[in-house]
Amino acid sequence: MAATMKLGTLGHAASMLSTGLLDEQFQKLLLLQDGSDPNFVAETITLFCEDGERTIGELTKQLDKRCVNFDEVAAFVHKLEGGSATVGAQRVKNTCIQFLEFCKEKSRDGCLKTLDTLRVVFYDVSGKFKAMLQLEQQQAEATK
Amino acid sequence: MDRRRIRVLLVEDEEIHRVVARVVLRAAGVEVEEAENGAEAVRHVRERVTGGGGAYDLILTDKQMPVMDGLEATRQIRAMGVVTPIVAVSSDSLPSDVQAFIAAGANDFAPKPLTKEKLGHILAKFGLA
Repeated sequence: MAATMKLGTLGHAASMLSTGLLDEQFQKLLLLQDGSDPNFVAETITLFCEDGERTIGELTKQLDKRCVNFDEVAAFVHKLEGGSATVGAQRVKNTCIQFLEFCKEKSRDGCLKTLDTLRVVFYDVSGKFKAMLQLEQQQAEATK
Repeated sequence: MDRRRIRVLLVEDEEIHRVVARVVLRAAGVEVEEAENGAEAVRHVRERVTGGGGAYDLILTDKQMPVMDGLEATRQIRAMGVVTPIVAVSSDSLPSDVQAFIAAGANDFAPKPLTKEKLGHILAKFGLA
């Protein structure tokens, strides 16, 4: 059952890898999963999706303020950067790196434009992750 | 003769990083204890020093954490006279970030995320492999 699940995920992940949405870190996560912790990958990417949504919400609030605290904005971006590096969400990570540059420059416009880009890339990868998890669940139920 | 398992203290506030690091560490056969911020880490270390439970073999710490960050935790652990290797595992990986950790008393630095390869290198470097 574990092998079947892995194949399904690998198939899904292959297209995300080939389009540059994910990098080899995601493959490393898949290789870490074994029988002692069969939900490890699902747990990790669920945390990434949940944390990421919360962070994007916070960034929207922060950049909406009349007086933007760029250190606080940077702290939130940094958190998402770390999470994206951990799951191999390459495009999200790279967008966060650009975002941090605008935070350093204290450029509200730069931050707002990059936040728009971040939303697009984050929801793209999180949507695909959620589809992957759904496929895993369906396969698991089909083999019961 | 049974070899005692390596004891590692993982200091990390974000669950996603704890989940991954925990799996990487357990796959390497080490015993993991966790602290969610620098202050908890200092307390864990102090309890081992005063309680006679035996020192940790390795401490892995993030930098940015609530309550107490990794830099301050490293300083306070060193101030106790603890010589356990401390490795910073952080996304803040500019040369200035690395230098700050080394100046605080850390032995090494690894950029996040923790992987099998990075852990293998760390364990080998400190004779824990």
